[in-house]
Amino acid sequence: MASFFTIGYRTVSLANINKYDETTKVIKNNDTQSYIKKNVARGDIFDRNKSLLATTIHISSLSINPQNILNRKETISKLKIIFPSINEAIILQKINTKKNHVNLLRIITPKEHIEVLKAGIEGIIVEQKNKRIYPSNSLASHILGNTDIDGKGTAGIEKSFEDKLLNGQDVTLSIHGGVQHILKTVLSEQISKFEAEGGSGIIMDANSGEIYALASLPDYNANNYRETSDIKLFNRATKGIYELGSTLKLITAAVAYESELVKETDLFDVSKPIKISSRTINDFHPLKLAINIPEIIVHSSNIGSAMIAEKIGPDIQLKFLKNLGFFDSVKLEIPEISKPQIITDKKRLSTMTISYGHGISITPVHLATATASIINGGFKSNPSLIKNSSKNNIKKRIFSENTSLKMRSIMRLVVSNKYGTGKKAEAAGYLVGGKTGTADKVKKSGGYFKNKNIVAFTGGFPINKPKFVITIMIDSPKNQKLYGRSTAGYVAAPVIKKIVTRIAPILGINPQNDEALVFTNQLLKYKIRGDEL
Amino acid sequence: MIRYPSFSFVFFIIFIAISLYQIKHFILKREVELAKINKNIMLTKSDINILRAELNYLKRPDRIEKLAIEKLNMRPVLPIDIWNIEDLVSTQTIINNGELL
Repeated sequence: MASFFTIGYRTVSLANINKYDETTKVIKNNDTQSYIKKNVARGDIFDRNKSLLATTIHISSLSINPQNILNRKETISKLKIIFPSINEAIILQKINTKKNHVNLLRIITPKEHIEVLKAGIEGIIVEQKNKRIYPSNSLASHILGNTDIDGKGTAGIEKSFEDKLLNGQDVTLSIHGGVQHILKTVLSEQISKFEAEGGSGIIMDANSGEIYALASLPDYNANNYRETSDIKLFNRATKGIYELGSTLKLITAAVAYESELVKETDLFDVSKPIKISSRTINDFHPLKLAINIPEIIVHSSNIGSAMIAEKIGPDIQLKFLKNLGFFDSVKLEIPEISKPQIITDKKRLSTMTISYGHGISITPVHLATATASIINGGFKSNPSLIKNSSKNNIKKRIFSENTSLKMRSIMRLVVSNKYGTGKKAEAAGYLVGGKTGTADKVKKSGGYFKNKNIVAFTGGFPINKPKFVITIMIDSPKNQKLYGRSTAGYVAAPVIKKIVTRIAPILGINPQNDEALVFTNQLLKYKIRGDEL
Repeated sequence: MIRYPSFSFVFFIIFIAISLYQIKHFILKREVELAKINKNIMLTKSDINILRAELNYLKRPDRIEKLAIEKLNMRPVLPIDIWNIEDLVSTQTIINNGELL
């Protein structure tokens, strides 16, 4: 019986295949393998066309244990042969320590790795590490954000989607790489031309709210995030708040139509400035006549806009601004967002100045979102940086289709009419519509700069059936003898023309004839009067 | 009578032991092979990832644009370069009617 038990026990012990795990031994024999096994690679970030924007690669780094070095001079000379660019004095200083681990080079190539092994340098340690890289360099760097040295997301999408990316899941953005590049290039050219401090631009789907491009300039190479200055890291499109001037007149006009407190036939006498206590509301191009809403927008009359706002009243004005999301941060999928600043004292002066974009500071993304809500048929737009986001599945109406149609018709006239302030935005064949805005720049300490402007343009194309919203903001452009004054009509509007002409073919929008029947049937015809009367 | 089954039983156990021993070694060998294949898959995946990153670095829009302009003498598309299909049909009709000849 004893022999039976002995043989039985040995049978079971031999059959115990998990007793000694050979696979573990194989894994342990290779550093890379064990590293990859231990660390699930962080997920990748793609643009809407599946072009890679951020990924993680495995790299080798070189370290040394100074306590294992027998001859320091010989070690350094061996290293110098393999890595000619290293500074011998710095290496000597580094290894002259009582530490057991000193980092020498963050990245070495596979070829250098082999040469290090062949050289047989004592104390040398080659470690396998993960490195987050951004192959497109500065493209969409403000959106992508970055990770810290431990691979933890510290900004942008990298931070917002930390859990998903850490689990190895990929993120697909709504950003279109080609459109993003065009927006950045054209905006950058204009900033240089007008010696501006910076600028930002947003191109967004008017209906779904998906952002195709979002640029903030100056920008930076995402691979050099840690060496980048705070000015470059600042996202002007989503975090910077600015008074965007007359672009806000679009909201004033839309609210006027929607509230039905102003009739289509109502005329506003803009021949005299409005004086309230110490403030005077003037027009840049004074008109000596009474004008209607479309004329107020086309001529960009501050006096007319203030008069409309007075008729609407502060309660309705603020209610619509709230509905458009101007009381909160835009719910974008990045942490770099800001809350607008609005004067809500409901005083007569505040109501009037807000109507033409003074006393209200918003981000360019807020303006793009409001523009989308005005031109897309009146539905609240929820901007998103993620492709096929479900944010806009539930449609909330802010303006009626009729108000939206009226506004689209007026916005087209701002660009196409001879009195329009946005004539330079006209891109032949693409039916651009929008509104310009020029405002004195607000000082951080309060008050306004006397010689610094913020210029903006917000609009959509093709405006008869809007597919895309474009919003541009340029910070502190300077007058140029060659290119014109530092107003939105000269600085921001030409950017729209260039961008639309270049992105429309990429986005599958065919050029149309302005006089085509299909177009003339869709937009309302308003007669615009001017100085000649 | 007792000896015969005992002997058979011992023989059976020895047979089972040898078989299990063989199976164990067979499985271990396969596991090592599997681990090596997995290692190769992971390393190849890592290499592919690097190549993918390099490809995306090479095809980034600013580089392609520069190459297209400098090496291929290309320029951005203009509205006049794009034709609506209806326009093409009407042009073909004009050509067929001999109006452009």
